[in-house]
Amino acid sequence: MSGLERATELDDAAVVARARAGDLDAYEVLVAHYTAAAHRAAVLLGAGADADDVVQEALVKAYRGLSRYRGESGFRPWLLAIVANETRNLHRSRGRRDGVLLRAVRQEMPEPAPDPADTAEANERRQRLVDQLRRLDRRDREVLVCRYLLDLSEAATAVALGWPKGTVKSRTARALGRLREHLAEDEHLAGEEGTDD
Amino acid sequence: MTDRHDDLIAELRALGDFLDVPPARDQRAAVRAGIARRKATRRWRLWLIGVLVAVAGAIGGVAPARAAVVSAVDGLLRVAGIAVRTGPAPPVALPAGPSPLPFEQATTLEAARRAAKFPVLVPAALGDPQDVTIADGARVVTFAYRNGRVRLDQCDGTIDPIFFKQAPNAEWVNVGADYGIWLAKPHEVTYVDRAGVERTVTARVAGPTLIWQHNAVTYRLEGIADRDEAIKVGRSLG
Repeated sequence: MSGLERATELDDAAVVARARAGDLDAYEVLVAHYTAAAHRAAVLLGAGADADDVVQEALVKAYRGLSRYRGESGFRPWLLAIVANETRNLHRSRGRRDGVLLRAVRQEMPEPAPDPADTAEANERRQRLVDQLRRLDRRDREVLVCRYLLDLSEAATAVALGWPKGTVKSRTARALGRLREHLAEDEHLAGEEGTDD
Repeated sequence: MTDRHDDLIAELRALGDFLDVPPARDQRAAVRAGIARRKATRRWRLWLIGVLVAVAGAIGGVAPARAAVVSAVDGLLRVAGIAVRTGPAPPVALPAGPSPLPFEQATTLEAARRAAKFPVLVPAALGDPQDVTIADGARVVTFAYRNGRVRLDQCDGTIDPIFFKQAPNAEWVNVGADYGIWLAKPHEVTYVDRAGVERTVTARVAGPTLIWQHNAVTYRLEGIADRDEAIKVGRSLG
């Protein structure tokens, strides 16, 4: 852990202690600091257009739950655990509202924005990666999103997803294997289409 | 184990930068409002439940051994049912002989346990109390030790803390897994009744005090001068 990270964690601990004692100004410091990270996590975990509402609900609930914060991996993964949970709740309520069929086709990952400076091939590859992430089982997708797209450590991912650390490790390996298989299948299909022309 | 996926991992890490994530909304005002909304539904309880107020301020006319001038810092400390004012307290004339808490009566440990609406715990480090009193309809249960020099108040305090400002004389401490406040210097204590009214007739000067909350019960341990010893007593509650 770098000195700077350590300093941030210590600062968080001090601010959390004050917020826990009811200092709303202290809590606002945390809100301002972590809103962007929480929002990004909500979007990548599939909250879509409801991401801001999910984050707001999660931040209010986090305040209520501060007494349960133990500070093991810092404030961010602890908050992201609440965000992930709220996002799942959202999926459940959407499922009830829209029916299972609609939910199945709902896109749970944001689109990659094509980079005009990049090659068409690179842009296509990114699109394919997102498409195949969407096809993964929810848990496989969640662990890859946390570990690599949100760049959380194994320990922090364990906190954010509420899993044992060992599960994060094994699930990550399995999810990477599945993603690679999906990508290979997809390329194979694309290749066959190509030869048909 | 994931080494063979290094290329894929690198791709996923890079992918994060290309995803179309809209900017986040500023949540500060909305979250504050959300917290306030939930608090409003609990406010009734907040004022109906017991509060002991410890006012730390310049204290004059006190026995020399206990006299202390506390630096004036704005703010208010709260641990559950106890609020600590750390600002320049208005000069309160302490009553010469402070009244006991309202409806205070001597009782036994068993009777106090039956009367109180919260679990009454005994700190193993101090053992069974010499005297037990209950006050204000068992809102507060008080144990006396060491011929009254050490006093443990327990009160039903499920009140949410409201403010915390660090004051030079009030120290934030851990009592086991719980948070507490350590007041090393003498300070004034006043009882606040069920209606939220400060009973100034009860005002008195208290010695070193540890205040903490555990499982919705607020504890106030007075008279142990050593901070670590006080915390040890606090942790031994069971």
